[in-house]
Amino acid sequence: METELIAPAATTILTGAPSTQDAYLSVAGIAKSYGSQTVIEALDFHVRRGELVSLLGPSGCGKTTLLRLIAGLVAADSGSITLGGRELAHVPAHQRNVSVVFQSYALFPHLDVQDNVAFGLRARGRPATGIPAAVAEALALVRMSDYALRPVGLLSGGQQQRVAVARALVVNPDLLLLDEPFSALDRKLRETMQIELKALLRSRGMTAIFVTHDQDEALAVSDRIAVMNAGCIEHFADPATLYARPATAFALEFVGLSTRLAGVVRHCQASVASIETACGTVSANADFRPGSAVVVGVRPERIRVVPSGQPVPPGWNAVRAPLTDVVPLGARTHLYGRAGKGNAAGASVGEGQGDGEGDRLLCERANTEGGMLGEAGSAVREGEVLGWQWPVADTLVYPAWTA
Amino acid sequence: MRTPRTVDGFVLLAAPALVYLAALYALPLVLLLLKSFNAKGSFPSIAGYTEFFADPFHLKILWRTVRVALLTTLLALLLAYPTAFVLARARGFVQSLILLALVLPLAVGVIVKTFAWSILFRSDGLLNKTLLAIGLIDEPVRLLYTETALVISAANVFLPFMVLPIYAVVRQLDARLPEAAATLGAGPLFCFFRVIAPLTLPGVIAGSAFVFSMAVSMYVIPSLIVGERSQTLSMLIARSYLFLRDEQLGSSISSILLLIAVSVVLGSSWLLRRLSGGKT
Amino acid sequence: MTRLQTSVRALSWVVAAGVVLFLLAPLVLTVVVSFTSSSVYTLPPPEWSLRWYAAVARKSGFWDSVWLSVSLAGLSTALALLLGTAAAIAVTRGRFKGREAIATFAVSPLMMPGLVVGVAMLQFFRQVGLRDAWISLLIAHVVVTLPFVVRTLLAALERFDFSLIDAARTLGMSYPKAVLKVLAPNLAPAFLTSGLFAFLASMDNYPVSIFLTDARNKTLPIKMLQYMEEQPDPTLAAISTGLIVLALAVLMIGSRTVGLNRMIH
Repeated sequence: METELIAPAATTILTGAPSTQDAYLSVAGIAKSYGSQTVIEALDFHVRRGELVSLLGPSGCGKTTLLRLIAGLVAADSGSITLGGRELAHVPAHQRNVSVVFQSYALFPHLDVQDNVAFGLRARGRPATGIPAAVAEALALVRMSDYALRPVGLLSGGQQQRVAVARALVVNPDLLLLDEPFSALDRKLRETMQIELKALLRSRGMTAIFVTHDQDEALAVSDRIAVMNAGCIEHFADPATLYARPATAFALEFVGLSTRLAGVVRHCQASVASIETACGTVSANADFRPGSAVVVGVRPERIRVVPSGQPVPPGWNAVRAPLTDVVPLGARTHLYGRAGKGNAAGASVGEGQGDGEGDRLLCERANTEGGMLGEAGSAVREGEVLGWQWPVADTLVYPAWTA
Repeated sequence: MRTPRTVDGFVLLAAPALVYLAALYALPLVLLLLKSFNAKGSFPSIAGYTEFFADPFHLKILWRTVRVALLTTLLALLLAYPTAFVLARARGFVQSLILLALVLPLAVGVIVKTFAWSILFRSDGLLNKTLLAIGLIDEPVRLLYTETALVISAANVFLPFMVLPIYAVVRQLDARLPEAAATLGAGPLFCFFRVIAPLTLPGVIAGSAFVFSMAVSMYVIPSLIVGERSQTLSMLIARSYLFLRDEQLGSSISSILLLIAVSVVLGSSWLLRRLSGGKT
Repeated sequence: MTRLQTSVRALSWVVAAGVVLFLLAPLVLTVVVSFTSSSVYTLPPPEWSLRWYAAVARKSGFWDSVWLSVSLAGLSTALALLLGTAAAIAVTRGRFKGREAIATFAVSPLMMPGLVVGVAMLQFFRQVGLRDAWISLLIAHVVVTLPFVVRTLLAALERFDFSLIDAARTLGMSYPKAVLKVLAPNLAPAFLTSGLFAFLASMDNYPVSIFLTDARNKTLPIKMLQYMEEQPDPTLAAISTGLIVLALAVLMIGSRTVGLNRMIH
């Protein structure tokens, strides 16, 4: 079965992207292979001055490699890296003025806190008289002034991270790179540090790129997030856009939770596609050739669960599926449904669809008064077949082969 | 919270080895030391030592021994330092080969190795033949019985003892540290002198202390390579006991040698403790 | 990487290669020489022959010294393993003062001038009336081998996670059984490594032994030096080759069971 997407291709979608003119950091056509393994292939990436950007993706997607390429710790096979107009491709790492905060912080164990912070200044040959003041200022910024003479081995994880940040910032870099800087901290500390760091970087107008596999972290600190997969950037946008309208199925799955239904496009008119899934027919605002195998996604807070026979408001989709799990989560509840096996109309299914396997329905409801079903006001039972409804406008559709 | 009984239990475990060493190793050494102060029947007396230092021949030997040990240590360090880094970076076959090259000579022993070197250094030996063939020299150089040969063969025998401690330290060196240094603006030289060298220093100290103390007390290698012509302290000790039957002299020299060895050991562990004092 | 870094790296590889050659060449040489047909050490050998290996068997006192060395090495290693393991356990698990000092003390014979230790022992034994050379040698060889055992076992015990024993006990094993089934197998590599190296160190020892031998009890190293003085011919190369083969066998055992890398640490 042919599948063709008539809508814009979902490779690198730059929503609200700067024109390359006002980009501060420009990565163009970067490629990197290790032997026969291609890690990054012809990647483009542009960051504005003062922006906080995250590279988000699973292990092996190339985000750390990209970071190291920008830092100059590895050399690219091809492509260019421009920072503030300066071409960096052949500039060695120690001359790029790009600071890095490593996942393990990489503090020098044989130096105390203030010598660690002073290291970059000394390495660059700053006059010795000015160094103590700069170090003191940097330590004050991260609230580590009392620890100046402490050996770094005696610091806690959070303290080490702050020293690493101070060390990276005291040299006034043009760009700051951070490789999973919060991953070694426990959950509670993490959020505090994220807020603190974001405020600090903002106040200095610092341009920074974070590498992370944790979507919450990316959402918390970034102005824009680049979702990476297998060496490509799937979607590069601000958190709100990325969440509401992810450009690819991968981005949909990687950021936030969602409903996922396999389907076949039955017909398509005036940019409205009618898609047949294992639990019903849905409509979506998209252009697809009839017969295309697609994946339908919906964000959980857009769905409401209602008793099976309830009428469907105009402009809404509705499917029927049994409720399989109810997961109470404090302020909200997750309701899971399983799409039934087989296709209602008995039509043949396209490649990669199976018979509804891998499909899931997920509805998220705030636990307000009125019980689980809001308007209906009645409790739900597991196993009961219910109606799942959501606005057509919130339906996300992707070619099945991209999922 | 350990009860006193448990603590005593562990002390008991250590007791056999402790008692053994104390009675049969430390005690004899202490007695030897005391004996050196027992000159001509009166105790305590440093006559044995003054007699030793008064003789310029002895001073020459002392200086030679220390000099050879220093040169050996230096040569071993120069060769071992890069090798330790290469070993840390090597994988698979290359790593096994280097390890084998380090460990096999250790396993084979001093006698076999020194014997091999004595053959190599002979006038009709391989070394001379190779040098002649290359054209570096016109006629066979007298290598055997020279201090150069001694330093080379000693460095050869003790080299693994210099490589392994440095290798142990390099292995634990966080690969991120030189990267961090670079991103902060440190060029390769600054990075080496301010990051790598200080961090490998404990290994260098440990290895150097080891090699120096072994080189200063070595007996087999100088006996075979330089023989009677240029003796070292240990050869003098052997001579005084086995040939001269001068136990007084022997015990004095033994104590001096012991003193040198002990101070190297103590000095290096003090240094090492000071270096790691600032860390965890 | 800058050009400076690349050239430094290349230079280190050259040095390392040179070091490997430097370390192995004398051994290779010895083996080659042992197969010469001439009675001098000229290289390359004019002809290949096994005559020197045959000559070894005929050397006076050779087999006696081999037997003496092997039995001394075996016994002293066994004793060292007993004493050393106990001491190492005490140092790592105990809480009494002076643990570190004990560890340093136990390893110190390695750093002492062997000759001085031998002399001191000789005088001491004579003073207490011990005249038997064999016992004196055994006592001395335990002192020689003990540091190897203690050092290796200390490292192994420090790395061992003792909570594994607690886990075994919560699963129903009694304390002695847990030690036997959990600790012992984990320590086996350390036993093997230290035992092998201790054995070899004892076989090779000269300085401590020279003062304690008598006419009837000569260890192999002492006999070899004697041969070197009396009749330096390629028989020595043959004996040396035998020792090299022994060392290779030991290393092979070690690397198959424990791995060459682990043997070092």
